[in-house]
Amino acid sequence: MTTIQTPPQPAVVRAETVPHTKPKDPLLSRTWVKVGLPLLVLALGVGAWEVASQTGLVNPITVPPASDTFAAMIDLSTKDYFWHAAWITLQETLLGFLIGSTLGLVLGALTGTFAVFRTALWPFIVAIQNTPRVALAPVFLTWFGFGMTSKVVMAAVICFFPVVINTVAGLSSVDANARMLFRTYGATTSQTFFRLTLPTAAPVTFAGIKTALTLALLGAIVGEFVGASEGLGVLVNEFNFQLEVAMGFAVVVYLAVIGLILYALIEWLERRLITWSN
Amino acid sequence: MTVTAPPARGAITAGEPIRLTSVNKTYTTATGPLPVLQDIDLHIETGEFVSLVGPSGCGKSTLLKIIAGLIPFDNGTVHVGEQAPKEGRRDVGFMLQQSVLMPWLSVRENVTLPFAIAREKGSHIAPRVEELLELVGLSHSADMNSWELSGGMQQRVALARTLALDPRVLLMDEPFAALDEFKREHLGLEVTKMHEDMGKTSILVTHSIPEAVMMSDRIIALGARPGRVVGDIRVDLPRPRSAAMIATPEFQDISRQVREALAGEDGSIS
Repeated sequence: MTTIQTPPQPAVVRAETVPHTKPKDPLLSRTWVKVGLPLLVLALGVGAWEVASQTGLVNPITVPPASDTFAAMIDLSTKDYFWHAAWITLQETLLGFLIGSTLGLVLGALTGTFAVFRTALWPFIVAIQNTPRVALAPVFLTWFGFGMTSKVVMAAVICFFPVVINTVAGLSSVDANARMLFRTYGATTSQTFFRLTLPTAAPVTFAGIKTALTLALLGAIVGEFVGASEGLGVLVNEFNFQLEVAMGFAVVVYLAVIGLILYALIEWLERRLITWSN
Repeated sequence: MTVTAPPARGAITAGEPIRLTSVNKTYTTATGPLPVLQDIDLHIETGEFVSLVGPSGCGKSTLLKIIAGLIPFDNGTVHVGEQAPKEGRRDVGFMLQQSVLMPWLSVRENVTLPFAIAREKGSHIAPRVEELLELVGLSHSADMNSWELSGGMQQRVALARTLALDPRVLLMDEPFAALDEFKREHLGLEVTKMHEDMGKTSILVTHSIPEAVMMSDRIIALGARPGRVVGDIRVDLPRPRSAAMIATPEFQDISRQVREALAGEDGSIS
């Protein structure tokens, strides 16, 4: 039997779920409180920002008030160049995500299934996982130019590894007793894979895919910062150079909206595909 | 007999005998060979219920897995029915301490799983699954997710799944050990009743002497390191068994015999 390396732990801890501490105060379980309290925090934050900027507590040129940012958002939404840039960034993100996570699934499945791949590749996967891969953005720019390709590659590279690591972790999380049970039923290798290994791995693997989608947008924007002619990252850069900080803020808010929409979509897909908890 | 014909649908299938002659098993470890089973001779009759008791490390689980064909043995002969042990035999059912249910399947789908793996199809399966769920008292929970059930109910699903293909031989590796005392006794009595109704040859590995006495026709006491038979105690309690028998002098006497057989064998025994 090949020595199995320390089983990789699920590398991704999802932070987006609010820790489920039982609310002691029954008031905190009311829907209007659950919705109202975060809204109140938002209002206070935006209000403080507005006041600080309007009263000159912070320089309104570098930190324009919230109202200006909001006006800039409305202004941007009427501009064709904004929608074009958003479309470019979205394409880079989704293409990079699809390529990166597909390759990640394939490599993760090989590494998680065959001990020879695990032994040969695991040290490199760990090494690359711990390398700040955004540092490769200038290299990709040199290799693939100012167009979309270098951003797609950046997005793919950055979201490749969480998928690999979580796929390996998922595949190695199959319970030894469950394997034994399948043996007592005389299950074939493919039956064990499709009826046991794959469904066991799916939730952990999908957590990696969710992270990958978030990272893909990050990769695309970093790629655009380093060198591009189109995209939302380019807009943020240009508005800042022109000291149109409110417009820059507005683009960032729209990026947050795009990120949230993508996240909501993948979350929806997860709920459709994985209806159980392990 | 080379191939066991699938049992008649819905029929109650009786058991088949199990015979072990001079079975030895030694594990190879980093510190050298570790003998776990030494010259095990064991003949279990058709329909007999036998418990294997003994301290940790006496090889009782290993013995059960050898009979299930899950691990090889070094020398000696083993016959389950007329064949050598082999994993995947549908006339042998194996039940573990953990229920090992598939969380992505409903209770009903978990019980159907053995049919799916055996690639058995047909209209007889659905009613058979309902019958099994009824048998273990889970008809009303059939559509629940398996992870929504309590530990005792999960083990009932595992029991139904073990019985699904109507095996002639039932091998149980501490199936109640993870349950609390009350559920343990309750489920033990139910399995005893099922055995009395079905007549399957059964082997139970357990740490609990009262459980062994309650359920068995015969108790094999195994000593530790290497595992060997140190006692073969017949349980002459009438069937059907009931919880009331625990208080009888006969029950206490058999328990004492088992304890005496194991006396001097290292380990904690309840």
